Amino acid sequence: MTVAGTADTVPSNAASPDTTRRGAPRRRGGRAGRGYPLYLVPGAVLFLAVIAVPFGMNVWISLNRWQGIGPMTWVGLGNYRRLLADSVFWSSFWHNVLLIVAMAVLPTALGLVVAAALFDYVGKRFGARTASVLRACIYLPQVMPLAVMGVVWGWILAPREGVLNSVLRDLGLGSLAHDWLGDPKTALYSIMGVLVWIQLGFPLVVFMAGLQRIDPALYEAAELDGASWARRFRHVTVPQIRPEFYVVLLMTTIAALKAFAPIYVLTRGGPGYSTDIPSYFSYQNFFEKTQVGYGAATATVLAAITLVIAAVFVTVQFRRQDEEG
Amino acid sequence: MLTTGRARRSTRLAAALAAGAIAAATLTACSSSGGGSSSSKVLKLWHYEAADSAMGIAWNQAIKDFEGSHPGVTVKVETKTFEQLQKTAPMVLNSRDAPDILEYNKGNATAGLLSKQGLLTDLTPQVAQYGWDKKLSASIAVTSRYANGIMGSGGWYGIPNYAEFAMVYYNADLFEKYGVAVPKTFAEFTAAMDAFVKKGITPLANAGAEYPAQQYLYDLALTKAAPAWVTAYQTGGKADFHDAAWTYAANTLADWVKKGYIAKDSVSLKATDMGNAFESGKSPMMVSGSWWYGTFESEIKNFRWDTFLWPGSGLVPGSGGNLWVVPSNSKNKQLAYDFINTTLQKDVQDLIANKGAVAVAANPADVTDPKAKELVEHYNTLAASGGLGFYPDWPTPGFYDTLTAATQDLMNGKDPNSVLSSLQTAYRQGLTQ
Repeated sequence: MTVAGTADTVPSNAASPDTTRRGAPRRRGGRAGRGYPLYLVPGAVLFLAVIAVPFGMNVWISLNRWQGIGPMTWVGLGNYRRLLADSVFWSSFWHNVLLIVAMAVLPTALGLVVAAALFDYVGKRFGARTASVLRACIYLPQVMPLAVMGVVWGWILAPREGVLNSVLRDLGLGSLAHDWLGDPKTALYSIMGVLVWIQLGFPLVVFMAGLQRIDPALYEAAELDGASWARRFRHVTVPQIRPEFYVVLLMTTIAALKAFAPIYVLTRGGPGYSTDIPSYFSYQNFFEKTQVGYGAATATVLAAITLVIAAVFVTVQFRRQDEEG
Repeated sequence: MLTTGRARRSTRLAAALAAGAIAAATLTACSSSGGGSSSSKVLKLWHYEAADSAMGIAWNQAIKDFEGSHPGVTVKVETKTFEQLQKTAPMVLNSRDAPDILEYNKGNATAGLLSKQGLLTDLTPQVAQYGWDKKLSASIAVTSRYANGIMGSGGWYGIPNYAEFAMVYYNADLFEKYGVAVPKTFAEFTAAMDAFVKKGITPLANAGAEYPAQQYLYDLALTKAAPAWVTAYQTGGKADFHDAAWTYAANTLADWVKKGYIAKDSVSLKATDMGNAFESGKSPMMVSGSWWYGTFESEIKNFRWDTFLWPGSGLVPGSGGNLWVVPSNSKNKQLAYDFINTTLQKDVQDLIANKGAVAVAANPADVTDPKAKELVEHYNTLAASGGLGFYPDWPTPGFYDTLTAATQDLMNGKDPNSVLSSLQTAYRQGLTQ
């Protein structure tokens, strides 16, 4: 949205020719400038109420031992020391790394290939309509409620009457039938499979939008030079949609770090602790064990890690853009 | 779009102010309709029993009785879910929106915690006044009384209407078909399971992702335990998970999975899956609580089923049921006490019993349903011998999750000794909070 002020400060921008014709805003620039901070108020209030204050409270709680009601006991960094020594927390952390693979790395890589295939091959062979129908189908899991998908996948992966095992048995592959979510060796990988299916749609949609932005002349030139599809993909497509690439990777990584619902609906961290992740670990301590301080410490560590990762991503992205542009 | 800077800005400001004013007005309206309007003639009651369950039916009767004996008073029932109350009760009871009376979960982690924080009314004077303690046996009263949040002694903070206990449900048709005798001793019990395994049938229905598996573990521990052991574990904070009872339980559960008494692929199943396995006639036996009784009575039509108490054990998992509690912020305490008293009257209690739950103050002679009669008899056997061993997840908040993880590990073949060590660590950590 372009507010009046933006035009005041950048009147020469070619995108708004009528500004210069009417001429007036430029002279009023000085006085109008004083009004701008007002526009920051709603955002600042929201930020304070929804992010800053709760975050501060969370840090404060994490320095105490507290049952959620009643008096707090100051323990300083005691909860953090306990966290460092808690093997369940560290294993949950490792599971979260695998979730990043399932929710960010794999969907981004796959999304790129599928987007290129839909845009380049399906779109050109079978028409744009077919490509967008397929895109919508792949995007569908993104708009379905996770709770519903969790229940459905729970049925599919169920050990006895589950669809997957029934299909395997019907195909004569009964020996592969398995208690997918009940065996610690397969539970996390089964969840990862479900997450790739859920996540794929988001990178796909963003990448397809990105592909439409690329100047067709680049492809034509590459084709004239005799570049194969694979080489065009590597030397034209990938570098051109690098901004989308960063955005997708950042957003899906953060989504993976704060993932909660898939674990909650599918396994509740089990069997044993084999699919536990920090967000669920924090929730359990917070609400079920009423060890609120300890749960808050977990949440604080998780927030700190998310911030660091986001900062690294954004820095790398800006540096790249500076180098390129 | 970029025309008149100032005019536009002031319009926007006005719009924003107007929007803010509307929002503020709406909020005020909401808050004024939300509170304040409490009349002393309305008893605000919360519970989480299904309308067609024994308790749901009996409590509807109690409400009718109560409104009849208290002209001008209406009972406003709000049905909550168990999880909803579990997670929000401390906050709600601390606010102005607290109900006058509610059903709440018994145990240290729930009613105990709230009583310790001063959110519940101490009902001790009313217990004496109405004579409730004469209707509730000593083992039932354990979960009603809390001293500094620990059950077993101290003031009365809740009154149950029913009791619960675990027993073995069995499919009489399957026993007959395979020529297996109903076991009377523990040896006969395992022999019966061996007989089913030989026929290729998994004898016990189970669910590893929820409470059933941990109750098997606890059932096994109780076979080697005395009441003093239960007290040390539940309220004394002195459990030793490497003692004879727990070691036997963990090793035996692991062994039962290996022998095929319990299916290995039940690790990820939920309690309803277990119930379905029994109801569909696939499992000859299922060990679980009396809360299944009413459901089975109404839903199992195509085979004969019956029950027996876990053989060879003086103790089984069980306790008084969930409690009526009166929040400290209740605005109609006297009406709440009267309502509790109504639920302990004969007609309400007999209704609970006849609908397939274990009424705490029903007279077996008045129970007409033959199956319900059997349930009351089981309960009287246990109550007479002090045989209710409570539930394994009670000692500390969140121990349920720890036990679920531990039994899943056991079923998946993890070393029982290390599983018991992890239980010991969590138990100690829970107690120091």
